[in-house]
Amino acid sequence: MGLPLFSAHGDPGPSFWHYVDTMGLNPSPSALHSDTPHATTVIAVRYNAGVVMVGDRQATGNYIASRDVRKIEPADRFTALAIAGSAARGIELLKIAQLSFEHYEKMTDSALSLEGKANYLSPIIQRNNLTSPLLVLPLLAGWDESHSVGRIFEYDGAGGCYERFDFATIGSGSPFAEGALRLGFRADLDLEGALELGALALYEAGDNDPSTGGPDFVRNIFPMMITVSADGFEEIAAAEVGERFRLINERRTESRGVAGGSLR
Amino acid sequence: MSTYFYVSPEQLIKDRAEFAQKGIARGRSIVAAIYDKGVVLVAENPSASLNKISEVYDRIAFAGVGKYNEFDRLREAGIRWADFTGFTYSREDVDARALANYYAQHLGDMFTEGQKPLEVEILVAQLGNKLRPTKLYRVAYEGTISDEPRFAVLGGDAETIKERFALSEDSVQSLSTTLHNASSALSGPDRVIPIEELEVGILEDRGSRRTFLRLTDQQVSELLS
Repeated sequence: MGLPLFSAHGDPGPSFWHYVDTMGLNPSPSALHSDTPHATTVIAVRYNAGVVMVGDRQATGNYIASRDVRKIEPADRFTALAIAGSAARGIELLKIAQLSFEHYEKMTDSALSLEGKANYLSPIIQRNNLTSPLLVLPLLAGWDESHSVGRIFEYDGAGGCYERFDFATIGSGSPFAEGALRLGFRADLDLEGALELGALALYEAGDNDPSTGGPDFVRNIFPMMITVSADGFEEIAAAEVGERFRLINERRTESRGVAGGSLR
Repeated sequence: MSTYFYVSPEQLIKDRAEFAQKGIARGRSIVAAIYDKGVVLVAENPSASLNKISEVYDRIAFAGVGKYNEFDRLREAGIRWADFTGFTYSREDVDARALANYYAQHLGDMFTEGQKPLEVEILVAQLGNKLRPTKLYRVAYEGTISDEPRFAVLGGDAETIKERFALSEDSVQSLSTTLHNASSALSGPDRVIPIEELEVGILEDRGSRRTFLRLTDQQVSELLS
């Protein structure tokens, strides 16, 4: 490939996706093969100084394909992107998003707004899901630097982008996680409250959804927990996450497998 | 019927070179130098938003002098090339030498075949690591590419500035000393460039993947004091 120079009217601008498209190099969507690893639970919860995200680690086909997948990644310093659906297309979407945000920043010498990043993904998802509905669905959460607030954006299969002001979930374990979140969410959650609620909701999803991996005490593999705040994207240390799930598990053992009348 | 006048190739090249040199000489110059922890690029630039120095990739920076619209298009093409190469292969396969060669080819083509030669000079800087050395590639308006040891100067007044900088700095120094020397080499003995008219970017390992950092006026003033 030579030097990609364009005349002013044919220039794709600072969008990497449009550039790749101009070159005719965008991967075309293909039909989902039935045993492509998929299924997930990822949760995003807003708290008073940012957002918390919790994601399980299991990739599932007809059997468990992997137990330590990372489904939440930093798209840039202030944005977290999680994926549910086909692993291959999800990872591709992550890569395109990370590269596009950085590309825009380098081309224009200014970072995209959080809303700009969220909207940017819409047509990509739309095209991605054209032949096989819901092939991959992302969840975007981040710290909005211009408004100093944590924000969450979810998508539908047609590429529609919707802001959520409380919490959002993606993946097959969503209904179970959503139940816990609806009961436990408060508008003034602090970081500890949001982490605990997110962990509980994921525990519920792992408990009820066969395709969501809960805490794995045998292999010491625990769900991913991250925060995005004014300090940027931060992943909670595995030991701390493990301890949190160990405590939830102990309480569940005491109450013989039910939450026991309250969110525990 | 139109009449063609014969112009010798020597004359044609000379005219084109003069044209390009004149255009480049109208702008202010840039000094790029290797310091003990990285590479610093210093430009005299009265505009705070029309940049001459830019990030291209994790360990690659770009600097251009001359006509802004011409070198900015080259800058954009460089970022596209780098991002796409890294996307297709791997981030570690993006090499400044390959990019500098593409620039050299394009400038060379425009010099001989274009409507007019591009009135620009550009620099591609690379911060070294285990895989590649630290390098400063300077590409002139006619496509000449040179691999500059330790430091490079671009722009109309390059020779004088080069002498001044070489005189004040004979070995690799700290960032603050190098920046100081670059700034006084750019200004000359008779004046001082105001801090807000200095555009400074560095490539330095700071524990993250991206090594480019644009220094704020405050950071520059702290380093110069």
